[in-house]
Amino acid sequence: MISFDIVGFLISWLTLFGIYSILSISLNMESGVSGITNFGKVVFYGVGAYISAAITTYLILILNGVNVAETPPYSISGIILLSQLANKAPLLNIGLLLLSLIMAFAVSGLLGYVLTYPILRVGPAFVGFTLLSSGELMRIFLLHYEPVGASKGLMAIPTPFGWIPDSRARDAAFLGMVLGFLALTYLVSDRLVNSPLGRTLKAVRDDEIAALCLGKHVPRIKATMLFIGSGFAGVAGVFLSYYLTSVNPNMFVPAVTFNVWAMIILGGFGNLKGSLLGAAIITLVDRVLTFVTPQLGVTVISPDYLRWVIVGLLIVVVLLVNPRGLLPEKPVKTPAVEEVRKVLTGEGG
Amino acid sequence: MIPGLSQALSNFIQYSLFYLIFALPLTLSYRTTKVINFAHANFITYGAYVAIFLHGTLGFNSMWLAAALAFLITGGIAVLNNVTVFTPLQRRGSTPAILMISSMGLWIAYKYLLYMLTDVMHFYTGRNFVSYGRITYSDVPRTSIMGFEISQALAACIIAATLIVLALYLMLEKTKVGRAMRAVADNPSLAEITGIPRSLIVNLAWFICGGITAVGGVVWTSFSGAVTPEAGDSMVLQVFTVGFIGGLVSLLRTGVGALLIASIENIGIALLNSYLGIPTSFKPFLTFATLIATLILFPPLGAGGGLPYRFLRRGSKQ
Repeated sequence: MISFDIVGFLISWLTLFGIYSILSISLNMESGVSGITNFGKVVFYGVGAYISAAITTYLILILNGVNVAETPPYSISGIILLSQLANKAPLLNIGLLLLSLIMAFAVSGLLGYVLTYPILRVGPAFVGFTLLSSGELMRIFLLHYEPVGASKGLMAIPTPFGWIPDSRARDAAFLGMVLGFLALTYLVSDRLVNSPLGRTLKAVRDDEIAALCLGKHVPRIKATMLFIGSGFAGVAGVFLSYYLTSVNPNMFVPAVTFNVWAMIILGGFGNLKGSLLGAAIITLVDRVLTFVTPQLGVTVISPDYLRWVIVGLLIVVVLLVNPRGLLPEKPVKTPAVEEVRKVLTGEGG
Repeated sequence: MIPGLSQALSNFIQYSLFYLIFALPLTLSYRTTKVINFAHANFITYGAYVAIFLHGTLGFNSMWLAAALAFLITGGIAVLNNVTVFTPLQRRGSTPAILMISSMGLWIAYKYLLYMLTDVMHFYTGRNFVSYGRITYSDVPRTSIMGFEISQALAACIIAATLIVLALYLMLEKTKVGRAMRAVADNPSLAEITGIPRSLIVNLAWFICGGITAVGGVVWTSFSGAVTPEAGDSMVLQVFTVGFIGGLVSLLRTGVGALLIASIENIGIALLNSYLGIPTSFKPFLTFATLIATLILFPPLGAGGGLPYRFLRRGSKQ
């Protein structure tokens, strides 16, 4: 008998959709609009998640007078203490959320900015490959770095709304926050893409040499974009660690990056609405697979593997069949374009 | 005398041969087809798994046979990739970045397809294929020279690398096909005008590159204690760094890169470990540092476009 919890499904889908949309919008801004082949999205996502996890668990313990040198948050006694102390003070939880958001944005963004120095001065293959391998390096580092729990990771991360007694209301509050930030990300990105900077970016993407000849400092522009995009990816990581309440190094494999790439390729390269659509479709497929497969009783082939094969093939098939995606890129909305359109259609004269 | 230096030295020889076998086809495939192929990692793993499936299900114990079969199967996969994905994309005039992204998609699909295959095989045979132990082959000699025991993997590696380098040299320099391949690499449209069947040559290049990489994967099963479907992925950083040191064009410099990376990874980390106490699991960081240094000092301008920004004057106006 198939049982189905519609509201629970919707909340979990929309939360995941929110988190992945922030990622896909920022990746679309970097890769779709400015032409940086960022195969290292997972670095900034993972850094954001780990920063929020570490800040929250350590500070909660320290502020409650626990000696973290003796009972670190990744030890069993630390995890038990965390679950007891977590939801005593709502204001502290909200404060930690804000601190995590700010720190994650700053650190991820700065990391993105620093990484651009050697790589943006060479071809896209080197950019993509360097960012890809920095993701693997981050994973190796986290696997062996004891203060963040090494291979066990950090568990029992106190969520910002843990003090709300009803679990549905708690999830809904979290969802509201994620969607709020998604709206903010979308607005900021939309303004950026339609600004003079955004138009420069499109010029850089379409013809780097021409942009260079027009006097644009291409590496600096790209570094700025990578700062903003990486910062938003860090924010998405914060939400992920609060949503799952645990982080461990093996969550941040390169496949996560390609999941986001599949979203922007499916939705439409260079169109921010497209990245929303792509994120919605892929997270929906993901959620449906997670909800349905336990009830089908398939054991030979793991649904997780099937899911990644689908993501990989989706990238290839969309590029082959419809490289512009479901929502193709549209011309920028500027007053000048409107004027030209009026003249061409004979409206304004 | 640093503890473990002799072990580091023997690993250095072993790994430099492996990196050579893996990175030569990468360079050759980029040179001929202009595709940065991240599915190269799959070629390594699929080669290894052809040998493992042969050994695990049918009990085959011959490295030559496994290598020949792996060459055919993986070469076939490489040609299939080219015919179904890269050629249609190139015909449409896609940018190198788009080709690279499509090879990423192939990489992820093939990798998890292999995981699914190991699950299915596990279901039918009951053996664990996700982490398979070292295979001892019956037809590779074990010898000792001047008291040094030469392991089976090292012997196989030396034979394979010698054969591959020799065959590639003879083919590229002495035969008509090799000359056609170099012509396509240098100027595809000119080669086509002079009557070289370009698509055939490109397919042949893919077949050879996929096949050679797979042979390396087969040898890997006699070296590594536990082969997993991640075996190729864990070497992507090293193999691509070796390729990038060669600028993805020069086969000779690729060989130098293989020596450099293998020495940094094995001897360098042994020194750092004994003097500074850095754990040996951090050796990818050294490779990454080499990659960054290569990119900063010698910005390679060949692969996939890119402008010599380093030569822009500092503080030029935006």
